[in-house]
Amino acid sequence: MTLPRCLPYVLKQVTRHRVRSLLTVAGIAIAMFLFTVVQAMSEGVGEATSASANETTLVVYRKDRYCPATSQLPQDYQRRIESVEGVVSATPTKVVVSNCRTSLDVVTYRGVPKDAFLRDRGDALEIVAGSVADWQRRTDAALVGETLANRRALRPGMTFDAAGITVYVAGVFRSDDPQDQNVAFTSLEFVQLAGRDQLGIVTQFEVKVADASLLEDVAASIDETFATAQEPTATFTKQAFVGRIASDLIELVGFARWLGLGCLAAVLALVGNSILLSVQSRVSEHAVLQTLGFSGRLVTALIVAEGILLAIVGGAVGASAALAVAHIGSFALSVEGTSIPIIADPALLLTGLVVCGVIGVVAGLFPAWQASRREIAACFRTA
Amino acid sequence: MTLIECRELTREYRKGGSVIRPLDGLDLDVDRGEFLSLMGPSGSGKTTLLNLIAGIDSPTSGRLLVDGTDLAALTRSRLAAWRSEHVGYVFQLYNLVPVLTAYENVELPLLLHPLSRRERHERVVSALGRVGLDDRDSHYPRQLSGGQEQRVAIARAIVTNPAILVADEPTGDLDKASAHAVMSLLQELNSELGKTIIMVTHDPATTAYSSRTLHLDKGRLAEANESREVPA
Repeated sequence: MTLPRCLPYVLKQVTRHRVRSLLTVAGIAIAMFLFTVVQAMSEGVGEATSASANETTLVVYRKDRYCPATSQLPQDYQRRIESVEGVVSATPTKVVVSNCRTSLDVVTYRGVPKDAFLRDRGDALEIVAGSVADWQRRTDAALVGETLANRRALRPGMTFDAAGITVYVAGVFRSDDPQDQNVAFTSLEFVQLAGRDQLGIVTQFEVKVADASLLEDVAASIDETFATAQEPTATFTKQAFVGRIASDLIELVGFARWLGLGCLAAVLALVGNSILLSVQSRVSEHAVLQTLGFSGRLVTALIVAEGILLAIVGGAVGASAALAVAHIGSFALSVEGTSIPIIADPALLLTGLVVCGVIGVVAGLFPAWQASRREIAACFRTA
Repeated sequence: MTLIECRELTREYRKGGSVIRPLDGLDLDVDRGEFLSLMGPSGSGKTTLLNLIAGIDSPTSGRLLVDGTDLAALTRSRLAAWRSEHVGYVFQLYNLVPVLTAYENVELPLLLHPLSRRERHERVVSALGRVGLDDRDSHYPRQLSGGQEQRVAIARAIVTNPAILVADEPTGDLDKASAHAVMSLLQELNSELGKTIIMVTHDPATTAYSSRTLHLDKGRLAEANESREVPA
């Protein structure tokens, strides 16, 4: 009960050396900015590659191909795929990307048969601006994912150009599927005609299966059907497909987790250094507090509270800035038509604050323990 | 009535390879309400005795009873609580917390007690009024003179209403006028509030304010004097 009464004292101590505290907070904020960005990328990887129990979608791709430009399958595979037992529907999709490299700003067109697309996927898309009717009416119309629309500041009625294809924005939609959020759906024929000799050629098929338990069997059956064809297929669950295409990216994000841990180590060092300097310069002051009757435990708690305060303020600034940038920028790491969204989840702020709180405790504990265990009289003799 | 009882009180500590014994088998009784001055050359054990009585140091051997409590038998946390209840310490260099105002410095020891904000306020105002600094409550230590700082330190020492005040050369860093004001204040606290005061001093003039003066030499009592006339 004593500690809350002493918090104004803690606050005054933290602001005692303003420049030192500001530099410490700035360092923590930068480190926590990076940590939060890494966490946001990791969340994106998790969301893009984790299969849910009721997932019933397969992606049929050209065997031994890893990018939309080289995965070319005859559109008439659709009938044969739909004849495989357990398949509900197969949607031929032509994927065109503005940039084959890994980038934060790739525009991905997905050409789909409009009626079939709306029948199979219409319920999963929430139109937040514009209209589906407009999209159906115009050949060059696109339904744009919210992430892409925000990043490019696209609104219904506008036209935009990417990868040499100019489209009219008929609507903006929101989807739970991170792959949908960063694409523009257009008419299949429109995208095919935009490329040379591409009519009748698609990049992939998105296959709906009757039941999640059938996914493996259906995938094997499809690949067996085309095993001896000129264009053999490789069929994956949607998440496995993302994991395969974006494996380099996922590996990179995995490595970035070490960077995140490095950021936490930097925060620990910054807070620890600041608290240590502060404690060393206040040896006699802590002795005075103990002379007044402050127990060693309370002195420890006050010093640790300083560490927590510094870490949490820096963490809050850094994590909030990272989330704001991620939210405003609507970034997604894209490679070969698949997207790993950078998710600005507010829960990351809470995670950051908790992590900073723990770091504040760890960083402050040793100097605080030292300060509380010193002999009071010896402190005055030394001073 | 004896408030402080020291028997065969010894304090040793190691410095480098040698053992230093600032107090060596000292016997002393201090009555309740007494104003005792301790004098003696540097290293004679005055401050060590003061620290032992204040509970911020522990004897190596011997017995120290303060108001019937054997301080050596208390744990660190109980000793801290005891200090908070029973002792006010006045330092030579004031030792105010520089980031806190005079008001906040005086309030600091009260944070350890289960008092409401209003109760704390009343006590702080009363203590600052007692030392004549109620108009300086929002000043920081750097904005006060040495004498004013010492009076804030005295207010901090008395705000919890302890029975004992210990003062380690309270006028050692002050000019003559400020020293007189501080000593008059201590004498007032002794005579009006009945505080038992034990003061270490190098200045013979200040002993005139006390009721008894003891001289220490090599960790033992050398002689005792009754107080002299208080200088004008």
